This record gives sequence, structure tokens and C-alpha cells, in this order.
Amino acid sequence: MKNIYSPQTAKILSVKNLSANVKLFRLKVKPNLPLQNRLCFIPGQFALIGVWGYGEAPFGISSSPLQNQYLEVVVREAGTVTQKLHTLKKGDEVTFRGPYGNGFPLDFFEGKDLVMITGGCGIPPIASLIEYVIKNRKNFNNVYLLYGAATPQDILMKEKMKEWKKSIEVLLTVDQGDKNWKGNVGLVSNLVRYLEIEPQNTAAAMCGPGAMAKALENILKPVGVSDRRIFVSEERRMQCGIGKCQHCTCGEKYVCLDGPVFNFDEIDKDFD
Amino acid sequence: MLRVIHKKNLTKLIRSLAVKSAVWAPLQTNGEVVFSLVSQETPDKEFVFQGSQSLLPPKFLFLPAEEEIFSVEKNKVKSLPKIEPFSVFCSYPDLVGILELDEIMQKEPTDFFYTRHREAATLIAVSDYKVEVAMAGDLILEKINQSYYQAIVLTAKGKKISQLKFFENKNMESRAIYAERSPLRQLLLDSELIKEAILWSRNKPIWEELEEKCLGCGICTYVCPLCYCFSTEDKKSFDGNRCSRCRKWDACTLPDFALVAGGKNFRPTLKQRYYNWYYHKFVRGYKEFGRPHCVSCGRCQKYCPAGIDIYQVLKRIVDDYKKSLNH
Repeated sequence: MKNIYSPQTAKILSVKNLSANVKLFRLKVKPNLPLQNRLCFIPGQFALIGVWGYGEAPFGISSSPLQNQYLEVVVREAGTVTQKLHTLKKGDEVTFRGPYGNGFPLDFFEGKDLVMITGGCGIPPIASLIEYVIKNRKNFNNVYLLYGAATPQDILMKEKMKEWKKSIEVLLTVDQGDKNWKGNVGLVSNLVRYLEIEPQNTAAAMCGPGAMAKALENILKPVGVSDRRIFVSEERRMQCGIGKCQHCTCGEKYVCLDGPVFNFDEIDKDFD
Repeated sequence: MLRVIHKKNLTKLIRSLAVKSAVWAPLQTNGEVVFSLVSQETPDKEFVFQGSQSLLPPKFLFLPAEEEIFSVEKNKVKSLPKIEPFSVFCSYPDLVGILELDEIMQKEPTDFFYTRHREAATLIAVSDYKVEVAMAGDLILEKINQSYYQAIVLTAKGKKISQLKFFENKNMESRAIYAERSPLRQLLLDSELIKEAILWSRNKPIWEELEEKCLGCGICTYVCPLCYCFSTEDKKSFDGNRCSRCRKWDACTLPDFALVAGGKNFRPTLKQRYYNWYYHKFVRGYKEFGRPHCVSCGRCQKYCPAGIDIYQVLKRIVDDYKKSLNH
């Protein structure tokens, strides 16, 4: 009998500061698929990363799914596990279980305009999706990233964004600018006006708090992006990751098994 | 010809099994029925096999209230101690509780730690009533008249027990009687209706009334044979070299159950959490497994400090729902 709770050991290859309380960890994980140019996981899937003595917590995988040399996760200092992770350095070991969950429907996105929307620390699953989209750029029409952060210092993955901008439209906004900030100020939903999309053939991929997702749906749905084409990666307390512990349930759904990505039609039904 | 055991031999059988390995049974001690280890000194009068009278159902033998699931020394996971074979004597309704929990925990991917305990266990149910469909377990002893229980053998382990000297072959007919259905059991027969009614009731005042009454203590979940929510917690030795990861019972009615790091709570109110408890039992669980997560044992009602009666709650919701359909 396989012990599904038994994690593998993953070595930290590097740690990078992304903002005052957010770090990017690159982990050496045993590859699931040794094949080149195949998906090692699906963007939007999550992993349970932990430290013995401190516990495990769920993280969206932010690196490209098209290579199996390492996985990256973005860690904001928020609880016991993340506080401990922040003290670790290159060469230290963590535990790893996953990837779990469904991920974004990549095939469904193909041939469509794709609008990716996120804020603050919601970027990891979207970052992984962007890496996939850029590698397969010709399969997608207009592609946007709409990203909001509290201040310019809180914008994560700035270096990656420079790369992304070569292939997709990146629109940024902050709640509060500073003297050097010349970009947009305000809610992510304000960025929608810059979109050039064909609504009947547009899919949206989001990761962010419920209020943000709902606000975007309120804008996108009336112009013709139906709820079935709006996908949201949900945040819940996935503890076991495999549909047993009940912490992440939403109505009849398990976020860890049926999600974390849901279309808005599902979310509107009887989500908690 | 039936394979039977005389009621006088039943306790002798249990004590004889307890010589070789651990045997658990519901025992009456200090006015409360508790699943306890049987010893050679356990008197006949302490065994209680009628209904589900023990405070805790036997689920704790397979899903302990707290269990070390990983022990780690200097980042190396140590192998778990072997679980010695043990036997559980219980009432038939409690056996049904275990079997339904098996279905939940052994649904793919199988829960490793639960299954370890289950595989070490031999389950023997004692039923005062006719067992209509013997679902599983190893051996069922069904009362067929004032003096005898018939052995219903379900597995090789059960067969071995039925071949012990306490059993005999007798030419007799079974006069097993049917158990009376409790009102809750009767209500549960139409689980589809309950599911519809619970879904309908989501924004109805009953949940506010229950929120007022409920203390949010979680006792109903601990005593429920089919509540299995859990959390894991890590502990560390002072020198940092030893760590243990424990799995503990949790309760979906407790305030932090759906809290995520950073402070967002997806079910901040007791009303939401209490509704979710019913929703899981009668909607999510029913859809997932084809029957509700309730074996109508009555423990949640018996031990609720606020006196909430699950039957009365369900009946009112179902009645109100039916009324709403007629209008």
C-alpha cells in the first residue's frame, strides 16, 4: 500500500527576494516525467511544500511546466510554514508532495484571446501559465496579463515580466504609486478598458481574492465573456491534498481534487 | 444445521480471544459505556451490545483522536511501529459505522494510516436483531432466539473464530426478529429528499436559530461514527533533531476550520459552519458515496450540550421544504 502522505525530499537550488516579505524558491524535485518538451505538471496545479517540525502548506507552482530540472514556488511570509521557509537557504531541504489538482484547461484556451488576471501573491499559477503560453505563442490570439499590486515595490516577478512583455501584453496597476511610478493607479478591473479582445472567443484565467474575481466577472460577462470561459484558481486550506481532510471543501466540490481551478459557473452555484 | 453460540459462551469467547491479542468491546464502566480493552477479569455484566450506547464509536481504533503519522530524526523518516493484530466486538449498528467509514477512507487514493489499523483488526458484531444484508466485517453473531446467536461468517478470519470450542452445530431454526426503525432511520430512507431539502434550506431562518443554540464545541463531530475531518500538526524537540507529525481529529464546526494563512476565513460564522456539517453529511457525502454520512446512531443528539436533536432538525427542514413545494 502506498503512503500517499509521504513526501519526497527536495533540495533548495536558490532563493530570491521578490519583495519585502515574498521569496522565490527554486527546488530540485524528482521529475515526474523524464521526457523533454512534455508537461511535467499543468499550470494551475499546486504542491504541498513543508518543513519537518513545521508542517506543510499549499503553493501554486510558478515555473514553466515544460522543463523538469526544477520547480519554483513563491512564498509570502504568512504563517508557521512560510515563516520557517523564509529562514531557509540554498542547499537546505524541504518536503514536497504533488503536483495536485486540475490546473488550467490549456487545450480550451488554444485559439482564443486569453486574459490572465491576478494581483499581489496570486501570480504563481498565472506565471506558469504564461510560460506555457509563450512557448506555444502561435496557438493563442491576443494574450494579456493584468496585474495589480499594493505599491510598485510589491510587484512580483519584475524580471520575468520583462521577458513576458516581448510576447504578450502586460498591464500593471498599483493601489498606491510613488514618485517614480508613471503607470496605472487603481483596481485591476480598471485595466479591462485597455483590452482588445473578441469577447465571444475569449477565455480568462484568474488567481486572486474572491472580491477581485467577482469584480472582473461583473465586467467581462456583460461584454460577452461567458462564465464558462472565466476560470479562477481558488485559495483554500488544502491540508491533505487528496480529498480526505475536508478543509478545502466548497459546496460539493473539493478544491484540492476538483480544483483549484473552477469556471465561474461552478463558483456561482453553491460555493462557500 | 446452524453454527451457533450460546449467550453464556459469548463473553467466554471474548475473554478467550483476549488472552492472545487485544480485544476491544463496549463496556459499562462508572455508568458510561466506553470502548475498552477486555481483560480476563471483565465481568459478564459489563458487556453492552445493544444499539450504539458507547460515548465514542469504535472509529478511534482506526482513526485515533491523535496519532503520530511521521517520526523524523535528523530529516530521516523513521519506519512506523507495526500494529499488532486486534479484535473489536461491537454492536451491529457500530459495525455499519465502521464499514461506511472504510468506504470513505479507502476510496482511492486509500488513506494509508487508517488502512494500517483496519488491516490489523478483526471485526465481530453482535446483533440482537435480524441482519438483513451483512455488508462486511469478519463475523456477525445474530441473535436467533432467547439463548443462541447464529454465526454469520464473512471472512477467513471470522471462520477461524467460529470454529472455536464455544460454538456448536445445532439443528434449530432462526427466529431472529427485525429491529424497529427509529424515526431518524425512517427519515434517512429518502436521502434524496433530505439532500434536496438541505440545499433548499441554505438561506432559511432555521440555520440562524441553530446558530443561536449551537455552542460550536464540535462534540457532535467527535462522537459521530462518520465524521473524519482531520488536521495535521508538527512538533519539534528542543534540540531540533526530532520531529513528529501528528494527525488529529478536527471539527468543521470549529472557528478556524476554513481559515487560511494570511487571515481569510471562508466560513467565519457558526451558521455557515453548522450548515456545512449538515451539507457534508446529507449533500456532499450523499453525492460522493450514494448514501448520507449518518448511521442514525443518535450520539450527536445524546451528547450535544445544547440539546440539538438531528432528527428534529432534519424533520423540520424536510417538512418545510415539502410545504414550500405545495405552495
